[in-house]
Amino acid sequence: MTPQRKSSLVLAILTAGFAVLAFSFARVPARPGAIVRQPIIAQDALAIVPGTVRISAAQLVASGGDASGLSCYSCHHQDSPPEIKMGPDNRIVLPKEHLDLIISMRNCTECHPANDPVKIDYDADGNVLVTKGHEGLFAMAHGRNSRNNNCYNCHDRDQLDQLHTPDGEKLKFSQATLLCASCHGPTYRDWNAGAHGRTGGYWNRDSGPIRREECTSCHDPHAPAFTGLIPMPGPHLLHPLPRPPAPPASENHEP
Amino acid sequence: MNPEETDNGISRRSFLRTSAVLSAGVAAVAAGLAPLRKLGQFSSVDEFLQKYYKELTPAEMKGVLTRIEDEVQRQYGIRPHVRDYKPMNGVEFVYALNLTRCVGCRKCVHACVAENNQSRNPEIQYIRVLKMPNDGTFDVDKSEHDYAPKSVPVPGSFFMPVQCHQCRNPPCVKVCPVKATWQEPDGITVVDYNWCIGCRYCEAACPYFARRFNFTSPSIPASQLNLNMSYLGNRPRYKGVMEKCHFCIQRTRAGRYPACVEVCPTGSRKFGNVLDPNSEVSYILKNKRVLVLKAELGTLPRFFYYFDV
Repeated sequence: MTPQRKSSLVLAILTAGFAVLAFSFARVPARPGAIVRQPIIAQDALAIVPGTVRISAAQLVASGGDASGLSCYSCHHQDSPPEIKMGPDNRIVLPKEHLDLIISMRNCTECHPANDPVKIDYDADGNVLVTKGHEGLFAMAHGRNSRNNNCYNCHDRDQLDQLHTPDGEKLKFSQATLLCASCHGPTYRDWNAGAHGRTGGYWNRDSGPIRREECTSCHDPHAPAFTGLIPMPGPHLLHPLPRPPAPPASENHEP
Repeated sequence: MNPEETDNGISRRSFLRTSAVLSAGVAAVAAGLAPLRKLGQFSSVDEFLQKYYKELTPAEMKGVLTRIEDEVQRQYGIRPHVRDYKPMNGVEFVYALNLTRCVGCRKCVHACVAENNQSRNPEIQYIRVLKMPNDGTFDVDKSEHDYAPKSVPVPGSFFMPVQCHQCRNPPCVKVCPVKATWQEPDGITVVDYNWCIGCRYCEAACPYFARRFNFTSPSIPASQLNLNMSYLGNRPRYKGVMEKCHFCIQRTRAGRYPACVEVCPTGSRKFGNVLDPNSEVSYILKNKRVLVLKAELGTLPRFFYYFDV
């Protein structure tokens, strides 16, 4: 075999080898094909979960339009949501008609003028008899077993939009936190220290202000206990988690 | 002398044949290696030659941040602000979570996903909320991850969110073979996504199930991308790297609260500087009944659970 023929043969074998390589690369993909990805969570999942934070429109404006915890669907229908206008800084612009709206809190003086005070009747146990038409207007459930259901424990007898502490100190609606503090001392102490209640803004006071909520921002004073929340979607588990075995139903293994 | 032979002894025919075979061979090599060009959209010479995070000079860091901004812009079509936030002097972050108040609404989980550009699919979440039976055992083996009642809280249960505990004695840092994860002076354990080799030792070492692995390229809708990014924090991750909660480094090192603290509707989550005696976490550690999870392991977490009343 001449050297020429030999080199040609080597070149031909190499060419065939690379051609096979190219063919195999073309046929067998180097990586698996693109996975078709279905969205696991609806993108508007955050929007449909009603929150517990009840804030007045004035507080909403003061917070810069942070409506993240607001229960809009107590009035608006979920299937036909209102058109939301966004400001230049991507925050919701509140319509004018909402400026005086108190959300989830009823203001008695909206209907009852101050010069025509409401007459309230009580049953034998001292609980307020809710007149017809007012059922469901305010769910009075303050205190364990609803023992703080007397309006005048907190409201002034002659002027319902005036508050007073058990000591007789007169307070305005805007000072409601001090009224709460007159009974809930330890909670007020924790709140003052920042350990109770929702916080936002800046932890570093040199960088900016901390954002705090008043008592009535989160708690309805007439029914302060939280009513419950719809939990947001949980983790998408590829495999079911192992559950602890169910305890035997009939036998009693107590020592 | 054969007229077809040149002076070097190569005939025209053999020259043509050799060159034809050669060019076919080159073409075949090029075709064979073509798929390599598609490998790794992000891999570049600069990324390959990038130095260790702690050895980068400020000028080099600037170049790295610009490169990452370019990468994100190429992939998502939006240019983010990637910064390298440095720890502050006299600051050690501590987290406190009120087990009495937490209702298990999982708002923190989803706020964290949005803030930290976590992969939507496959789903990566730093916070796992455990539904625990209120039977006095405090046994996480009895917990439920995927609870879905109509309304929370649930009588007979309490809820315990678990995320990275930012341990003072972190087992995950000890096992990393390439020092891609370390503890910063302000207490945050961070991951360098460009240095991580994806061995997942840290995931195995963590007793709190706090670390998440990108088994595939994360997918985030470009419209939901948080453009305030940090190098050690919420910039988009790569396939095959580890990630974890970093106390929202892009927020907390700028003085703000983490996203989970801001969104918590019950105020269960508290965060602050434990070296500041007036901070709320200092108050909680002094005045509340505090516990840490798996204290017997000696990891010394900076994440505390506490009770009211």
